[in-house]
Amino acid sequence: MDAILKIENVSKSYTGHKALNDVSLEVPRGAVYGLLGPNGAGKTTLIRVITRITLADSGRVLLDGKPLTAKDVFHIGYMPEERGLYKNMRVGEQAIFFARLKGLGGKEAEQRLRGWFERLNISDWWERKVEDLSKGMAQKVQFIATVVHEPKLLIFDEPFSGFDPINANLLKEEILALRDRGATVIFSTHNMASVEEICDHITLINKAQNILSGSVDEIRRAAGGNNFEVLYRATDEEFIAALGGMAVPISESRGMVGGFVQSRIHIPKDEDVKLVIAALNESCGLRSLNEVIPSMNDIFIRAVNGSI
Amino acid sequence: MRNIYLIISREYLERVRKKSFIIVTLLMPILMIAMMVAPSLMMLYSKSEQKQVVVIDRSGVVADNLYESAEATFIREDGMSKSEACNIYNEESGIFGILYIGEVVDARDSVQLITNSSSSMLLEESISSQIEAIVEREKLKEYNIENLDEILAKIETNIELATFVNNGATEDDGEMESTSTGVSYILGIVLGMLLYMIIILYGQMVLTSVVEEKASRVIDVMVTSCTPFQLMMGKIIGIAAVALTQIAIWALLVLSASKFVMPMLFTSDIASAGGALLDGALGTVTDTGYIATLFAYLALFILGGFLLYASLYAASGSAVDSIQDSQQYNTVIMLPIFLSMIIMMTVFNDPNSPIAFWCSMIPFTSPIVMIARIPFGIPTWEIVTSLVILYLTFIAMTYLAAKIFRVGIFMHGKRTSWRELWLWLKE
Repeated sequence: MDAILKIENVSKSYTGHKALNDVSLEVPRGAVYGLLGPNGAGKTTLIRVITRITLADSGRVLLDGKPLTAKDVFHIGYMPEERGLYKNMRVGEQAIFFARLKGLGGKEAEQRLRGWFERLNISDWWERKVEDLSKGMAQKVQFIATVVHEPKLLIFDEPFSGFDPINANLLKEEILALRDRGATVIFSTHNMASVEEICDHITLINKAQNILSGSVDEIRRAAGGNNFEVLYRATDEEFIAALGGMAVPISESRGMVGGFVQSRIHIPKDEDVKLVIAALNESCGLRSLNEVIPSMNDIFIRAVNGSI
Repeated sequence: MRNIYLIISREYLERVRKKSFIIVTLLMPILMIAMMVAPSLMMLYSKSEQKQVVVIDRSGVVADNLYESAEATFIREDGMSKSEACNIYNEESGIFGILYIGEVVDARDSVQLITNSSSSMLLEESISSQIEAIVEREKLKEYNIENLDEILAKIETNIELATFVNNGATEDDGEMESTSTGVSYILGIVLGMLLYMIIILYGQMVLTSVVEEKASRVIDVMVTSCTPFQLMMGKIIGIAAVALTQIAIWALLVLSASKFVMPMLFTSDIASAGGALLDGALGTVTDTGYIATLFAYLALFILGGFLLYASLYAASGSAVDSIQDSQQYNTVIMLPIFLSMIIMMTVFNDPNSPIAFWCSMIPFTSPIVMIARIPFGIPTWEIVTSLVILYLTFIAMTYLAAKIFRVGIFMHGKRTSWRELWLWLKE
């Protein structure tokens, strides 16, 4: 895997508690990478270690295979969870200031920013003062200020908090568009819906530890545990006979749906799913067979409760 | 450098564009002039009216020679007793009080002033000096000197000391530099106060700016875009530029006043009539070149003093979470500034005393103490040495402050461990 960012055995303690305990993970280049975890799990601390706002007690952070330096951080686009803008400045002026600080020329900064303001429907805020903006409005400005210099690595801490569903969607689309243009995006969240929609990879952090890491598809499949939901017309005896030891019914999950029996079965990995389908099809009037893939929300809750 | 420049211009423009900046810049000179004029105006209007005093003279010498002054007129009632007079000339009579003079004037409690309302220093001074003069004269008379009045008139002397700086010139070529301790004194106070105000005013601006940036969390974005050193220097220099802008405007106003307004106010007739003292004073106030030099030194010491204290303020601002918390650090920083103010006062007694000299070399007190000494005419090498020490200390202080700043700005909520502090200092 071509990793743009590698975190190796990072630990960080504050007086009296451990915020990160031997966390390792790899962020593939061009991915949208979700850092999940309950409140206080250590997501923000991990992000602050990556952005060098906090120093790790031990472990390394590698960018493109080399230890991350202060200079590298200046090219990262970072949006902190607690947004900060200068209150007395005008919106446009402020956005230009941040863009120039990130290395853009004055003219180019303004040109790009005007484009972004148009895209996010906030062109008429250009001359307004930041103190007059609502929280969501200020967040849009901050988002633009974070991405305007098109960094190859973007880090957002809770980017969707404070947004209504319409603006959250707008933001999701922009994040995906940035990914498509070649950026790698890391963001922390506990909004699981957004994870399913836009993340390619995730790491789940709980109690300062990395408890689950990988591509979203694989994790969900793995969490599903090769369970399948089947709809058929047959008696229990016929059904068990048809399965013939290839699969085990999960008894408590029986029900009726539109005249069909709905049942869950477990097919061990070494069995061929096709054979099961063939057998059920022949003797049980099989209507459908679907792999049960849990939602990220289920996985999150199960993982945090320690049942994965 | 580019980042420092960007931060400087942001800090500068944000402040200079504020309405409050423009108002204060224009109002300050008016306020200062008002402050200078106010005491003389107060003197003028607080001058009390003439008071009527009833005199009972048992000695027979004083009352005849009392004369009407700006403070009092006298009514003689030698025939009355003290208690009678007190009854008649009570509060309703409009009389201020009763002056009772016993038979032997310079005996203890012999001269008494019984007033209907509270007495005034000026009046007491006026009466006692008159009586003193009368009694002294009477005593002289006992020696039977002929033409006493004539002799007394002849020996009356009034000296005005004209002071010059020894610059190698002689009186003949007219190049001698006249000075005036009075003017130096006033200039010293004004300059010292100005520096004190500026260090506190703008130094605290740096502190506030850092604390606000921490509180509003802009700091997280800033430090992932530039180094803490750049951020700190950008702030300090940006605010220094605001200070210099303001001082430049004030200097321009004062300079044009000394060039056009002062000569108009003090025409040459007044100057020649005023004698040597006034001459020196006018020479100082109306000498544009001298004032320009003073302002140049002032700018250098303000800049140096400000930079030194601003780095302290920035470091302490970075170490706290709110303005309230910053107060305790503030007090510590203010100590040397207060100390300088106290030492500044001793400078006026002797600008070249050891304490004045050393405190104008020690960087934490030198800006205020030295600027107060300069109007008295200090050798250039002393000024240059003081400046060099000041600026070297500033550089060392900035280095240290930047380290503290780096650690301080992230001590937010969660307590930073000593271990982390150490890690940052090693960076």
